[in-house]
Amino acid sequence: MLWACLRFPGLAFAAAFAALPEDAPGALLEDNARRRTVAIANPAAQKLGVQRGQSVAAARALCPNLAVRPRDKAAEGHLLAELAAWCYQFSGHVSLAPPQCLLLEAGASLRLFDGWSALSGKLGQGLAALGHVHTLAAAPYPAAAWVLAASFDGCVVQYPEQVLRLLDDIALTHSGLPARNVQALRSMGFRRLREVFALPRPELTRRIGREGMHWLDRLRGHANETIPAWQPPATFFQRIEFDEELEGSEPLMFPLRRMTQALANMLAARDGGVQLFRLRLEHARESSTDIQVGMAAPQREAAHLFELARTRLERSTLHAPVRAIELHAEQLPTFRPPLRDLFDPVRGEGLDWSALDERLRARMGESALRQLSAVADHRPERAWRRGDGSTSPQADPRPRPLWLLHRPRPMRPTPTRVLAGPERIESGWWDGGDLRRDYYIVGTRQGQRAWAYLPAGSHDGWMLHGWFA
Amino acid sequence: MKGQMAGNDDVVPSYAELHALSDFSFQRGASSARELFDRARSLRYQALAITDECSLAGIVRAWEAAKGGDCRLIVGSEIRLHDGPVLVLLVEDHAGYSALCQLITRGRRAAPKGEYRLGMTDMKGIGEGLCVLWAPGPLHRGDAAQHEAHGAWVASTFPGRAWLAVELHRGPDDDAELEALRTLGQHHGLPCVAAGDVHMHIRQRRALHDVLTAIRINTPVAEAGHALFPNGERHLRRREVLGRIYPPDLLAESTRIAARCLFRMDALNYVYPRELVPEGSTPARHLRELTQTHMGNRWPNGVPPAMAATIERELALIAELKYEAFFLTVYDIVRFARSKDILCQGRGSAANSVVCYCLGITEVDPANAGLLFERFISAERNEPPDIDVDFEHERREEVIQYIYGKYGRERAALAATVITYRSKSAARDVGRALGLSEDQLDQLSHAYSHAHGEVDIGVRLRERGFDTSSRTIRQLVALVEELRGMPRHLSQHVGGFVIADQPLYSLVPVENATMDDRTVIQWDKDDLESMRLLKVDCLALGMLTCLRKTLDLLRDHRGIHYQRLADIPIGDKATYRMIRAADTIGVFQIESRAQMSMLPRLKPKDYYDLVVQVAIVRPGPIQGGMVHPYLKRRSGEEKPDYPSDKVREVLERTLGVPIFQEQVMRLLMVAADFTAGEADHLRRSMAAWKRHGGLEHFEQRIFEGFAKNNYSQEFAARIFSQIQGFGSYGFPESHAAGFALLAYISSYIKCHHPEVFTCALLNSQPMGFYAPAQLVQDLRRQGFEVRPSDVTASTWDCSLEPVHARDGGHPKAELALRLGMRMIAGLSSDVAQRVSDARAQAPFSNLDDLCRRAALSRSERERLADAGALRMLSGHRHRARWESAGIERDLPMLGTTGEERAILRPPTVAENVFADYATHGLSLTAHPLSLVRGQLRRRRACVASQLPSMEHGRWIRHAGLVTVRQRPETASGVTFLTLEDETGQVNVVVRRDIAERQREVFLGAVLMAVDGELQAVEGVRHLIARRLHDYGDLLPGFGPVSRDFH
Repeated sequence: MLWACLRFPGLAFAAAFAALPEDAPGALLEDNARRRTVAIANPAAQKLGVQRGQSVAAARALCPNLAVRPRDKAAEGHLLAELAAWCYQFSGHVSLAPPQCLLLEAGASLRLFDGWSALSGKLGQGLAALGHVHTLAAAPYPAAAWVLAASFDGCVVQYPEQVLRLLDDIALTHSGLPARNVQALRSMGFRRLREVFALPRPELTRRIGREGMHWLDRLRGHANETIPAWQPPATFFQRIEFDEELEGSEPLMFPLRRMTQALANMLAARDGGVQLFRLRLEHARESSTDIQVGMAAPQREAAHLFELARTRLERSTLHAPVRAIELHAEQLPTFRPPLRDLFDPVRGEGLDWSALDERLRARMGESALRQLSAVADHRPERAWRRGDGSTSPQADPRPRPLWLLHRPRPMRPTPTRVLAGPERIESGWWDGGDLRRDYYIVGTRQGQRAWAYLPAGSHDGWMLHGWFA
Repeated sequence: MKGQMAGNDDVVPSYAELHALSDFSFQRGASSARELFDRARSLRYQALAITDECSLAGIVRAWEAAKGGDCRLIVGSEIRLHDGPVLVLLVEDHAGYSALCQLITRGRRAAPKGEYRLGMTDMKGIGEGLCVLWAPGPLHRGDAAQHEAHGAWVASTFPGRAWLAVELHRGPDDDAELEALRTLGQHHGLPCVAAGDVHMHIRQRRALHDVLTAIRINTPVAEAGHALFPNGERHLRRREVLGRIYPPDLLAESTRIAARCLFRMDALNYVYPRELVPEGSTPARHLRELTQTHMGNRWPNGVPPAMAATIERELALIAELKYEAFFLTVYDIVRFARSKDILCQGRGSAANSVVCYCLGITEVDPANAGLLFERFISAERNEPPDIDVDFEHERREEVIQYIYGKYGRERAALAATVITYRSKSAARDVGRALGLSEDQLDQLSHAYSHAHGEVDIGVRLRERGFDTSSRTIRQLVALVEELRGMPRHLSQHVGGFVIADQPLYSLVPVENATMDDRTVIQWDKDDLESMRLLKVDCLALGMLTCLRKTLDLLRDHRGIHYQRLADIPIGDKATYRMIRAADTIGVFQIESRAQMSMLPRLKPKDYYDLVVQVAIVRPGPIQGGMVHPYLKRRSGEEKPDYPSDKVREVLERTLGVPIFQEQVMRLLMVAADFTAGEADHLRRSMAAWKRHGGLEHFEQRIFEGFAKNNYSQEFAARIFSQIQGFGSYGFPESHAAGFALLAYISSYIKCHHPEVFTCALLNSQPMGFYAPAQLVQDLRRQGFEVRPSDVTASTWDCSLEPVHARDGGHPKAELALRLGMRMIAGLSSDVAQRVSDARAQAPFSNLDDLCRRAALSRSERERLADAGALRMLSGHRHRARWESAGIERDLPMLGTTGEERAILRPPTVAENVFADYATHGLSLTAHPLSLVRGQLRRRRACVASQLPSMEHGRWIRHAGLVTVRQRPETASGVTFLTLEDETGQVNVVVRRDIAERQREVFLGAVLMAVDGELQAVEGVRHLIARRLHDYGDLLPGFGPVSRDFH
C-alpha cells in the first residue's frame, strides 16, 4: 500500500472568501468565539504582523484594510468533499482528513497512471487548474503520509526504515500528536519525535495516554487501521457569497464556472449525470431569482454544463444586484438516458393554480409573471413590491387605494371636496427617498374617490396618487 | 377645507402639554428636558409635563430646566400596563408624588434591570394626588371591544380624576378619530383632553427618533417599517397649529388639569437619618459632644487654643448649614470600619476640617498642613458638603453590608450613574441602525475611538475606507453628533450611598441593579446635589489594602505596632530625599511616568508640596500652562507677582499660579465678578462640558469679567483653558490633601522598610502603575534577596523570611522576600491553601507525598512543575514535569518509584527564563535581555545603566522589553514607552508620526530597539524616538509583558 496525502493550506481561506486577491491581507476569525479573534491570517496579513489569537481590533490596528471573515467550517467541509470528488478519478479509495487534507490510496493506481511521477504530475496540474495550492507526500502508512505532507512536500517513501528516518527529525509541534500531549512533552524538555520514540513505552503511555500512544504507533505502522472511504453524495449543493453586490450577469460567470466544474467533478465521481439543476441568485431583503436549467438528457461534462447555465443566466433579467449564488441539483440520474415507452399514455388533468403558474412561466419566461406583496414602509410608493409573494407582512390598516398610480401626477382639475385627511407622511430620509406629504381622500366632480396629496403644510400643488374603487 | 377648518385661526389658545417623553425614556425620547423646556417656553405653553416611561430619572434635570422660566414643570410618568391600557400619571401633590415613586419602584423591582412590569391589579388604590390620563392611541389600530373594556376600567378605578387623552398626529382621518374618541369618552363619563404624546422638541429630530426606534427594536431603520412613526408630528407644536387640530374645549381642559398639578420638586423634604442622635439630644449637641470626647486622642496634652477656636468656628458653620447629620453619618461608618480594623481615609471639602480630624474621618492634620475648612465650605456658597471615604478594597463590601444592615434596604441605596452615549457607542448604534455590516461597525468604532478632537472625523473615516461624501456616511456623522451625550441607560454609582430617615421610595423610585442584592435609586450624583440629598461615597482603594498588609507585616516581623496611619512619623527627611530622587516605584499616586519626571523638578520637601505634586500632573494645570510658571517660581527664577491683594489671598500658597480647582473657582469670584452660585454652576458644568458642550456662555462671561477688573486677556485665556482641562479630570485641593497623605505614608514605608512594602504591594495586586516584575526588580536593585515560589516554603501570599534561619524572630533580622503561589498564573488560592495545610502537618518527603497529601490534580501538578515550584522535591522543571505527569490520580499510592528512569535533559538558562516569564511574568534567574546581550552589543545597543552618564543630545540605540505603553490624554498624540533591560528602565517618547509610520513595530514588538536622541533636562532623561526596530527575532516565542494604558 502506498498512501498519498494531499494537504491544502489555503482551503479555509478559499472556503470563506469567494475571491480575495492574493496580495490583499485577509484573516479568518474563530467561528464560534464570542470575542472576535483571528484564527488564520494569510501571508499578506502575516507580513503586517497579524497573528492567530489577536482580536480583530488589534489586527486592524496593524492593518487597517484587513479583510475579515468568520471561519466557515461547513463550507470547508463542502470544499474538501468537492476536492475528494475530483480526486476520485485517480483512486477508488479517497478519504477525508479534515480540516485540510485528503488521503488517496495510490498503490493500486500507480500502474494505471504510469508511476508516481506521472500520477503526482497529473494531480499537480489538475489542482493548479482548479486554483488550489497543495503539498503532497506519500508513505506506506496514512498517518506518516499526513505528517510528511506538512513537513516534506513532494517526498515519497516506500520503506519503513526510510519513514522512521524522516519522522525522527519531525518537531513535536508538527507531529500530529494532540496539542496537550505536545505541550506536556515539550515541558519535559523534548523537542523532536526521535527523543519521544526513545522513551520507555509504559512510562510514556502513562504520560500521554492511549490516544497519544496510538498515534505514535500509527506513524510507525505499528497499528492496524482502516481508513474510511469517501462516498460521493446523492445530491449536489454549493453556495458562494460575495463580498460586494454584483450587478448584472457578467461578473457571475467566474463563480458559475467554478460551481459547474464542482458539479461535474462530483458527477464524474458518481459516474452519473444531471438532467435538471437550479441556480438561485440572492438579492437584498431576502428576495431571490431562481433559474432552472434543464436538458434533454443527463449530462456531466463541465464545459457543457457551464455553457447551458451561462445561456440561461444571460437570458434572465436580474431585478437587483446579486449577493450570493447557489447551485442545487437534487436528481442525479445514471448517465444513460432512460428508454421511453412509445405507448405511454398522456395523463389528462385539469390545470390547477400552480400548474398554470408553472406553465405560464415556462411559456412566457420568469419576468412575465408577478405577484404583489406588502412591505412595511410608511411611504406609499414603497409599501408594496413585486415578488414571489411567499412572505406577506401584515397589511396596512390605514385606508389605501386599490389602484396606486405608478407615479403621482398633477391633479387637474383640483378636487372639489376633502373627504378625509390630511394624513401626514414624513419618512424615508435614510435611503434618499425622504418625503413630506399631506394625503387626502378627495372627491372629484365626477363623483370618483381619489387619493391625492399636497406638500406637507401647503395649500396648493395637488398631486393625484391613486383611485379608490 | 374640512381638515383645516376645525378651530379658530384668530385666537391662539392656551395650552399645557401633559404627555411628553424626554431622553430619559431611553431609546424613545429624542430630546433632552432642557431642549423641551426651551421650546415650550418659546411657544408660551403654560406648563409641560415630563412623563418618562415608568421613570423619574430625568425629572431633576427637567426641574432644573424649568427653573426660572414661566413654563411650569408637571411631574409625571407614562405607564404601559402589561395587561391593560397606557396611562399617564400626573402628580397633584406630595401624596401623589410618593404614590408614583412607590408604583414605579414596585414595577421596576418586579422586573430585570432596565425593565418594569405593572398590571391592572397594581393600580388598585392608586389615584389619590394624581391625575390619570388614559391614552388609547389611534382607534383605527385597536380593537373596539378592548377600548370599551379599558374605558370602563379607567372610569371605575380612578373616579373623578381620569381623562381620555386625545392625541392627534395627522393620521388618515383625524376628524373621524376625534369623533370616535369623544364618543368613547362620553360613553364612560371621561372628559377628553388634548395631549401631544411628545417624543421630540422639534420636527427636525425625526431622523434621530427613527434611529432610536431602530436601536430599541434592534433592526436597521430601513427594515423597521411601521415601528417608525409615520411622520414627525410628535414634537412640541405651535399653539396656532394645535388650535387648528383640536377643538377649543379640549385645549382648555389641558390648562385645567395643569392647574391641579401644582406639585413642585422643591417641596420634597428629605430628612437625615435620625437614629444617629441619642434620645433626648440634638444633632448639634451630639456632634459637639463627640468632637470634644475625641479631641483628647488627637491632643493628649491639651487642645491648643487656636485649634479649639477653629473647632468652635467650624461647629458654628456646620450648625448654620444644618450639616450635623451628614458628619454624624460619616462618623458612624468610619467608626464601624475602625472597629473592624478596616483602614479608611476621608477626603473632600468637608473632610479637611478639624472636626473630621478629631472624629478620625481623616488623618490629615488640617492645621499642620495649612488647609482650612472655611476655605472649602462657606455659608455663602451653596455647595453641599463633600466627604469621600476610601476603604481597603478587599474589605469595602463589609462596610456596604453594614450600611444596609443599619438602615435597611428601604432607606439606603446606591446612587445611579447615567451612562451616556460616547462617540464610539453612538457611532456603533447609529451605524447598525443604518444597516452597516458588523465589519464596518468595527471599522467605525476604530475611527471614532481615535477621534481625539484635533483629527477631523472625516479624515479618520476615510482612512478606514468610508466614503464620506456618500449619503449614508454624511447622515451617520450628523446623527452621531446628535446622539452623543444622550443618556443610554442607568448604571450604579461606584459607591455613593443615599441614606434617608423615611423610606427612599417616597422620595425617588428605586430599581434593581445588575449586581444581585443591590438597589439603585433613579437619580445620579448631580441630581442628588440639586435635591440636596445626603450622599456618602464609600470607595475602594487598593493602596489602603496594601498599607493594612504593611502594618500587619511590620508588627509580625519588626515588632513595630502602628495602630493607625496617624502613628507613622510625619516630616521624615529621608523619605522626602527619596521622593525628590524619584525613587517612588510602587508608592501611591506619585509613581507614574509623568509624576516621576516631575518630582526632581518640583523637589517636594514637605507635606503641602506633595499636595501640589499630586494635583499638578493633571490635565487642568498642564492644559492651562501652569506647570512651568509654578516650577520657575519655586526655583526662584521668577518672582511671584499678584495683580491684586484679592488674587494674592487666593494664590499665595501656590506662588501666584492657580493649581487647584478651588483656586480657579475662587479666582473667578474675586477677579471676574462671578457670584458664588455662578461659580458653582460652572464647576458642575465642567464635568459635563466635554460631552455636552455648554461652556461657551461661560467663556464670554469669564473674559468679560477679567477684562472689567483689568486683568490681561492672556491671563483670562490661561484660566479658561485650565477650566477646560479640569473638565476631563478636575482636581480639587481637598482631595489632593487626602491623597498626598497616602502618598507620604507609602513613601515612608518604602523608604524605611522596602522589603515589607514590596511584599504587601505584591499581595494587593492588581493595583498601581507597575507590574510585579518591576516591583520585584526594584527591590532586588536595593540589594534585597528575593526567593522563588516553592511548595516547600511558599504560602499563597508572598511572605518575608529571615535570610539566615538562625535569625528567625529577631526584629532586626535581615529579611528575604519569598514569592507566594499567588504569583503563579492560573493557580487557584485553594491549591496553595491545601499545600500550606499539608506542609504545616509535616514537611513533604517527596513529590508523591505532596500530591497525595495536598490532593493535587494533574493540571495543578503540571502548573506547579512548570512554575518551578517543585524544585526542592524533584529537581529541574523537565524532571518535575515528567514525574508529576507519571502520578496517576486514582492510584496515588503506586507513585513513580518503580518506573524505569527516563533520560531527561535539564532546561537551559533561556528555557528557564522563558518558563519563569510564562508562569510568573518575571524571572529571578536572569533578565531575558542578558541572554542575548552579545547579539545586542553587535547591533550596537547600549544598556540602560549607561544612559545617566551620557550627555544631552546624544544619539543612541537602546533595546529592551516593552513594559508600559501609555498615551496620556494631556500629551496629544505622544505615547510614552518604558523599555526594560537587565540594568534598568528607559523612558521613550514616541511622536504620533513615528507611531503611525511604524505602527506594526510600535504596537506589536515585545523586544524593541529605539534609535533616538537622549534628552536630559533637570535630571529627567527621555529617549526621543526617531526609529523603532522589532528585535523579537532574538527572543522567539517570548510573550508580551507590556501593560498598555490608553
